[in-house]
Amino acid sequence: MSEPTSELLSNVLGEVLQDAAFVFAEPAEDEITFEGEVLRSTIAFESVRGGALRLVTPTRVAAEIAANMLGIDPSDPEAESQGRAAVSEILNVIGGAFITRYFGTQVPSQLGLPVTDLVATPLPVARRTCAAAMRLESGEPVLLELDLEEGPAA
Amino acid sequence: MSAEQGQGREGKMGLQMLVVDDSPVTRKMVRRAIGLCGLEVAEVHEAGNGAEALTQLASHRVDLVLADINMPVMNGVELVERMARDPGLAAIPVVIVATPMSEERVERLLDTGARAYLAKPFRPEALRDVVVQILGPKGAVHV
Repeated sequence: MSEPTSELLSNVLGEVLQDAAFVFAEPAEDEITFEGEVLRSTIAFESVRGGALRLVTPTRVAAEIAANMLGIDPSDPEAESQGRAAVSEILNVIGGAFITRYFGTQVPSQLGLPVTDLVATPLPVARRTCAAAMRLESGEPVLLELDLEEGPAA
Repeated sequence: MSAEQGQGREGKMGLQMLVVDDSPVTRKMVRRAIGLCGLEVAEVHEAGNGAEALTQLASHRVDLVLADINMPVMNGVELVERMARDPGLAAIPVVIVATPMSEERVERLLDTGARAYLAKPFRPEALRDVVVQILGPKGAVHV
């Protein structure tokens, strides 16, 4: 099994954002940075190898995702209040898409429950195997990081 | 639970559906999909996990359950298993609405008693197709 790539993460993130939240994102051509507080969502998984996925989104993006998922206007107060839950659900779907795409559908896999926190930037450096930095049409950044445990010895 | 609650919807107008998911956003999304897909629905109940779903099933007539797998307190697998063991609930079809998962896990869920699996994200038409497949066109859809 080859190591996962940023391209794989970009594909999964882009497709899930598009299909589940009607938000369009492209790989960032420049370095992305986050300012203020952001939502950082983490989901653990077990499969051939264990690990975790982390999704970082500005709170404005979370509200946009929630609004699109719920079919309400982004200025609706509910969009902001549901942003955290929306990001958690997006990462949940990303987790399922990633493990079935990377490990395949023939091996047992298990997702944990997503945990989403409001955190201040700059974000602490976390161990990661690879990452996908993307920008939405609005220019807002989103980041998906993969922390994959070492594989079994050959 | 009463005998009527598990007997399906003969003589009733519109489906009684139960959406089980720990994410309030997802529950609302599923509600929205139900509203868009052309099913004849009288009422949509909600539960945040399997235990809450069993409480709802004990107090409401439900024709179809749409349940997530990955939930705290009681997950969807245990919900399906408990419903399958309960003579009053075993006849109520459960559709698993969850993130993509391994074929082995899907097969195990279907063996346990789930009637179908719908991967998130899904289109309203896909939900309609699954419900019609389970309940039949006369029972589920505006004509």
